[in-house]
Order: sequence, then C-alpha cells, then structure tokens
Amino acid sequence: MASNTQNGSADPSTEISNLPDVVGINFGNSFASIADGQAECIANEDGERQIACALSFFGEEMYIGSPAKAQLVKNSKNTIVGFRNLLGKKFSEIPQSQSTASAPIIQHPEIPDEPAYKVEILQPAPAPLPKSTTGTPAASSAPTPRSEPIPAERVLTVSEVTTIFLKSLLQSAEDFLGKRVQGAVITVPSVFTDAQKHALEKAAKDAGIIVYQLLEEPAAVAAVTTADAWSSMLPADRTQLIVDVGSSSLSLSLLALREGLAHIIASTSSTSTGGDAIDSKLITFFANEFTKKTKTPLTVCSETPPSTGDARAEAKLRLAIEHTKRTISASPNAATCSVESLKDGVDFTGNINRMRFDMLVRPIYDSVARAIVDLLAEAKVDPHQVDEIVYVGGTTCLPGLDEHIGFAGGFSEVINTPFSMGTVIGGGIGDPTTVLARGCAVQAALIASLSSEGEDEELRKAFEHGSDLVDVKTTSKTLGLVFPDNSGNETGGTWIPLVLAETTLPARRTATFDIGLSEESKRFAFELWEVSEGIRVEKISPAKVSPSDAEDEEEEEEEEIKHKTIIKETLLGAAEAEAVLGIKVKGPSKDAGKWTTTVEATLIVAASGSVDVSVKEIGKDGVVATVKVSA
Amino acid sequence: MASIQTNVLPKSYTLPSVANPSIAGPSSSRLLPVGPAYISHLRLTIHHDHSFEAHDAHLEKERQKLEELQNSAANGDDDLGVGDEPESEELLALDPKEWKRHDYYAVLGLSHLRYKANAEQIKIAHRKKVLKHHPDKKASSTAPQSTSSLLTGVNLNTNDDAFFKCIAKAHEVLTNPEKRRQYDSVDHELMDAQEDDPIPSTFAKANKSLSDAEFFKIFTPIFERESRFSKKQPMPMLGDITASKEHVEGFYDSWYNFDSWRSFEWLDKEINEGSDNRDDKRYTEKKNKSERARRKKEDIARLRLLVDLTLSFDPRIKRIKQQEKEAREAKKAAKSAPASGTATPQKSKAQEEEEKRKKEEEEKIAKADAKKAKAAAANAAKKARRAARTVEDGATA
Repeated sequence: MASNTQNGSADPSTEISNLPDVVGINFGNSFASIADGQAECIANEDGERQIACALSFFGEEMYIGSPAKAQLVKNSKNTIVGFRNLLGKKFSEIPQSQSTASAPIIQHPEIPDEPAYKVEILQPAPAPLPKSTTGTPAASSAPTPRSEPIPAERVLTVSEVTTIFLKSLLQSAEDFLGKRVQGAVITVPSVFTDAQKHALEKAAKDAGIIVYQLLEEPAAVAAVTTADAWSSMLPADRTQLIVDVGSSSLSLSLLALREGLAHIIASTSSTSTGGDAIDSKLITFFANEFTKKTKTPLTVCSETPPSTGDARAEAKLRLAIEHTKRTISASPNAATCSVESLKDGVDFTGNINRMRFDMLVRPIYDSVARAIVDLLAEAKVDPHQVDEIVYVGGTTCLPGLDEHIGFAGGFSEVINTPFSMGTVIGGGIGDPTTVLARGCAVQAALIASLSSEGEDEELRKAFEHGSDLVDVKTTSKTLGLVFPDNSGNETGGTWIPLVLAETTLPARRTATFDIGLSEESKRFAFELWEVSEGIRVEKISPAKVSPSDAEDEEEEEEEEIKHKTIIKETLLGAAEAEAVLGIKVKGPSKDAGKWTTTVEATLIVAASGSVDVSVKEIGKDGVVATVKVSA
Repeated sequence: MASIQTNVLPKSYTLPSVANPSIAGPSSSRLLPVGPAYISHLRLTIHHDHSFEAHDAHLEKERQKLEELQNSAANGDDDLGVGDEPESEELLALDPKEWKRHDYYAVLGLSHLRYKANAEQIKIAHRKKVLKHHPDKKASSTAPQSTSSLLTGVNLNTNDDAFFKCIAKAHEVLTNPEKRRQYDSVDHELMDAQEDDPIPSTFAKANKSLSDAEFFKIFTPIFERESRFSKKQPMPMLGDITASKEHVEGFYDSWYNFDSWRSFEWLDKEINEGSDNRDDKRYTEKKNKSERARRKKEDIARLRLLVDLTLSFDPRIKRIKQQEKEAREAKKAAKSAPASGTATPQKSKAQEEEEKRKKEEEEKIAKADAKKAKAAAANAAKKARRAARTVEDGATA
C-alpha cells in the first residue's frame, strides 16, 4: 500500500466530468474535425481543429494530419490524400486519367479489383540476437546496436488508410476526454452509395469506433440548427438552404425544417467548385506580386510541371495563404502573406485587402451563386421563400461570399445567415468550420441517451442506415384558419397559418391569439383553408418613388419588390361559436374599449390525412368550436 | 396577451357551405434522421400508433421520471445510495479501543448493504462520514456550546475524535480485501442470524412435519445468507415448490459440495506483542490456529447439517420421487395396457390398492432419506474430524 501511495497513482480521478463519452466526427475528403459530447470542437495534439485528411510515410515515421500535408512538397509519392472519396469503390470504377501529386492509386497485388496505395517505408531491422551467456565473451559490454532499417514497400488499401486515420482521430478525442469513447456519429456525403457507407462503417469498426449512426452532411447541419441554442430567435418552421463549400466540392441542400423535423426538398453537389480554386487564385496573385516586386520569375498553378524551385515556392505559398484567408475572414483590414525564402532565397511579404480579395475570387463566388439559383429554380422555390442560409466549410467563413450570395441569389434582405446573426466569429454556434462535427456530436449524445433496452432499442435501430422509418408523408399545401372580417384583403380576413406545406405527418400545431368581438354579439367564426403560398412581384420604377424614400433614390433601374402572398385554394370547413369569456380592454392603449377573448387553436393532421381543428377559449368554461375533415 | 389579434366578425357573415372537403394528397419524402424531434416522431409512429394523446401521456411520464431523478440527484453527485443512514447515539459513543467488536458497516452507514457493498460505495461512504465527523469540524461546531462563563475557551468535548477513529478503523478493514474477508466471515449480523437457525432437535420435538409455506419461509433465507461464503458464485437458491427436478438436484449437489472461503482469524486471541516470551507467543499462535481449524470444521458441519435438514423436509423431493414412480408405472401400464382390457370396477379397486402401496412406500422413502441424511452427516463429521486431525498432525510434526 505504502509504495503505491507514495508518489500518487496514475489512475484518473473519478470525478473528471459527466460529459457523455461520445464524439462526433466530420470526415471530409480534405479535412476532418471532431467534437465532444457537449458539441465543442476538439483540437488534436497539434492544436488543429481542422485536421487534414492526409497520411504520409517517411522512413520509419508515419505522419497524420497537417504534418502529412506538408510532406506533399518533398515526399509526395509517399503521401496519401483524398482517400475518403475512394472508400468502397472498386479499382475499375476509379478514373485513372487524373494525375495526382500524391501517392498513386494502384491495383492491389493480391485482392482483385481493389484500389490501393503503394508507399516506400523503412522497416526497423530485426533486433540483434541477445548475447549468449555461454560462448565467446563480447568485445564490449555495450549492447549490440540495431542494424540500419531496411527499405521496404508497403501496400495499403483505401480501407486501411481510413482506419489508420480514424484511429488517430479517436486517439486525439480520447486524449482530450481522458476516457474511452463509447460511440461516435460520423458524417457521410449524401452522394455516398450503400457500398461506400458500408466500407466506411467497416473501416471505423476496424479503428475501434462504435458507430452509432452515419449521418449525411445536411442532416448533421440540421442537428445543430434544430437545437434550441441555434433557433431561439428563428421560427421553428422554416426553409433552410445549406451551402457547403468544401475544399474540393460544393454541395447545396434545401431543407424544410418543421418543428425540428427536417427533410431535403432539393439538393445538388458538384466537384468543379471549391476552396482549392480560391487558393489557386490567391497563390497566383501573390506569385505575380512577388515577381513584380523582386523581378524573380515565379510560375505557379500551371499545367506544365514547373521547376522544383517553383513547385516548392507554390507549396510554401499554399501553406502561408491559409493564414491569409483566415485573416481576411475575421477582420475587415488588409491581410498579409509572408513567406521566408520564397524562391532563390528571396523573402516575400504581400498584402491583400477584402475588396481586392473579393474581386479576385469573384468567379468562384459567381459559380456558387449560380449553383444556388439553379437549385432553387429546379425546386421551384422562390429565393424569398428561403428563410435561412447556413454555411458549412472554411471557405464560407468569407464575408464576401455571404454578401455575394445574398445579392446574386436574389434572397430577401432580411434573410438569416450566420453572419446576420453574428454567430460566425469567435467560434460561435454558426462557425462553418465546425458545424458538421458539432452536429454529429449532438446526435451522438442524443443516441447515447437512449437506453439500450426495451422500447429504446427499437429507436436505436431506426438510426442505422437503411431504416425505412425515414420514409414519411408530408403535407403538400399549407393549412390555416381564416377569421373573416370586412378588411377586404385577399384572404378575406385574418390569416393564421398552422400547418405549413412540407410538414411531416402526423402533425400537430397550436397557436394562441386574441379574437376581436363586438359588444352586442360575442359571435366569432373561422374557416379552415388550404392555401398555396406564392410570391407577388411588384415593380417600382424609380420615377414614381416618393422623395421620402431616400434610400431608393440612387437606384437607376426599375426595382422589384417581392411580397409573400396567400392564394386560397380549398375550403375544408368552417365553424362558429359564441365566446363566453370576452373581456373589454381597459387602459390608455389604442385598443381600449374593444372586446376580445384569447383562444387556442389546435390543428392535427393525422397520418391518414384527416384534419381535426379545435378552437378553444383559454380559461375555465370556455367554448370549443371544432372542425373535422376526413381523409 | 397574444401577438395576433383578429378583427370583429362582420354581422352579415354566414358560414359558407363546404362541399366534399379533403386536403391535397400528401407527398412522400425522406426525413433526415436527426434530433430529438425525430425521436419524438419515431415514438409517435412506432409506439403510439400516431396518437398524440398517447404520446402526450408518455412525455408526461418521462417528465415526471426526470423530475424524480433530478430530485434524487439534488444532494450532490451520485452517492450510489450510501452514507445517509441515521446514526444512533450508541453508534456515536463507540470506543475506538474496542475496535474488534465494532460493526464497521454501521459505522460507515452501510448496514443496509453489508457484505454486498462494493469498493466504490465504501469509498463514498467513508468520504461522507469523514466530512461529517472530522475532528476539525467538530471542535468548531461544539465549542460554542459551552455557555458557562467559567469554561469559555475550554473544549468540553475532549473525546471528540473517538468516532472519527472508529471511521478510520472501519475504512482500513473494509478496504483491505483480506481483512474484509475475515471480518465478513464473522459479521455480527450474520452470527446473530445463525443462532436462530433451525437444528434437527427443534423439529424432533415438534410433530416433524412442515407445511410447504413454512418450509420455504424457514430455509430460503438461510441459503440466501450462506451463499455469500461460496467460492463459486452464484450458488443456486432453494427455489420454490414448482422448481424443476434439475433445479432441485443441482441445488443439493452444489450445496453438498460447498466450497467456503469463510475463515475465523478475526476471533483469534491477541498475541501479546509486548511480551518477550517467545514460548508464550508461540503458544498463543498455536492455540489460535487450532481454534480456527476447529471453528472452520464446526462451520462445515453446521452447513452440512443444515442441508441435510433441508433435504429431509423438502416437499419437492417427495414430489419428484412420486413423479418418477408414476412415470415408471405409466410406462409399465402402457406396456401391459393393450393386453389387459379389463372392466372399470376392478380397475378402481386396483387403483385403491396402488395408492395404499404408494403411501407406504413414500413413508418408507422418507424414513430412508432421514437415515441416509443422518449417515451422511455422521460421515461428513467423521471426515472433517479426520481432516482436522491430519492438519493438526501436520502442524505438530
């Protein structure tokens, strides 16, 4: 006992934390990130929150993450990048034409039709034989040194590479949490086939990760945006556009969020646009500036392989502009880019301000905006019907991109984005770089909270991929109540929307509001309508603008103003009742002297499609008026 | 006040007539399986058959459960349900010098768990008690009580760390696996319970029969208590009247081959460490050793006797024997049935006879059982004696 306690023990103290020991892993093609059970992004041991998906072998060492990415310069043939997208694919399915700067993909020598990477490594030589006690005495008492390591070749399948990488992520997470990770939720791109999902699941299992769920990227975003912390100031029913600009791909998803339930209305994804294009533009810009300043020729990002000096300079710039991009995103001032000994021993320091930068990368902004416009057109959704834009990926931290999308996409001026909500900067909840990992972590914590027996077992199963419980029916038109009056507006009264279009069935919505009554008759009535929501475009020519509208005076061309409209389609039912709890508003307010009563309207749309409305006066003995519509 | 306000209904308004209403056909889509809302949706779909009322009831239940949980967790972190037992005056007045006779579980507030308390619970219970009874805390809390002007500044409670010492001792014993084993072997509560165990003589005087309920009432707790000493865990329990033949046989098989870890070092006479007399020490040591062996032997015999006693009263043994016999007879009958196709009155007579015979046989079996049990007990005792002798011989040799 005494010897144990003398220097303390290495056992972790029991009261570390009550954090659920689960993690969320965003496993991208270029970068990965991890988040703990409290949905905070974890930095790995190198202090990086964005961990490069790269694996590099140099001699006896293996590098993972950014150190591996840096190896792309000097040791590219032993460096593996971009392996995620190859998971679960056959060798014959992979286009061979593209030449990569990394380790080449080869046919596995043993397994048929299996892609693999071949890297050169140094194997440690076998340990020297132990000195025999008998026989000739050794020349010296020092142990025999180990021989030089032997050069060898190692063939790794894509699955093995993934396993090694995921294992390192898990290790980082466990080092941070100080305990074993019980389970994880991992992102998959929506374009992954079932075979690819299975391959990822298997690789994760081999890495010792218990996968609770493979979450598609838009779903991971929805996990964050439907949480209370995100949406307290936004309506629970909204249409959300997710703009995910990765380093090598662009994916867009239009989501219908209905009280926490989300489904995709439309989505698209392309690999022609991405953050790497911005890098190329920026590198070219700085290289030109370098040439201009120092008269040292420097060619970068060219098709023909440049000289080794140029290649090295390009790699150095590529590392340096990472910092420049972050500065541009974070502050409105000019950002610098400094590289020591960029080429021929000449140092470089350059500046770029936001406006210059935005001009430079305008083509990329344009292609993103064009993709958004195309998606909305295809889904027949007017930009004004989109309530919120959510950004994913480091590139979307650029405020210029947000501005450009808002302007070129034709969205309403009051659209909610992480920038307008001020949640991007300072690791806020809207931080595009960590949102996926945090979404996974939220989901992992949620699944972990389900007990593994009884009813919950069934629920856990529903999170496995391929569960048909995700197939649901949704309403196709918005349902709501009209309280008729003499106002003569297009709905013929006060329109109270209850169940929006695209709401998953069964659905129940409740609204509380005041009903105006008259003193002599406490009668009120309502109609249940099915409506379609549209956008009315009103054109205002600048000549007619009244002088008071100072803001618009500068505009030369005709301006379009869009209004949301309600078009009544089908009358489903109507009811009337006499209120009994009507009260007279007193006091100095402008409503004084009017009679009102507060009611609660509940609308239930059953899975079969039958509708049940009840309007109830709040308070004891209130009247109830109901409308039922059968399916 | 709600934010929406409707206008007054015009007087001329009449309800419109509705013709054949139904909502536009629902469209299909795929939900993203995320978030608490999705779980609610799943529950609604899978468990509550799309009924909001059932779902609401479920949510209400969940909420109540959560509330209870929060209330129970309100007193700090998870205490594993220990350390909240009331402390009697008697307990607080324990003399640390008499440590061998203390009930350590009671001292740590674990008397509801006793030998079942695990290391974590002991640790937490100890921490709680230490926090409560630390002398530093006590001095400050009791000092102002001395109201007499003559005694101001004098701590009246001179013996205020007595209970703290007891706590320390209890912790020392219970956290050391060897010491805890010794202590558990002679746990006060256990010893008291063992004194009340039935012995054959109690039944000899009585009419030597027990109803089924009585049998299980008496013997079930005994085996539950004794099973703690088995090296093999878990031991089969007595079961109930409907227990299968396999279970009953397995039960007696295990308990006749009971391998106990119980030991009696705790009851050793203390060796006078201060004495210089080597012989004196050795003598005490030897005495203790033989005493331990004797106690162990007694314990084995006691248990064996208990099992014998149980066997002799077990109503299930009779039942099983009966069943076996019936099965045998049925077999026999099945064999002879096709040959004999006799009339019913004759058969009833034969049945009567058979029943009589059965009864006699049963009694015989019971007698034989008792005899066998006695013989077995004697045998065991003999064996144990022999073993003890060899041990002693070995020790003296």
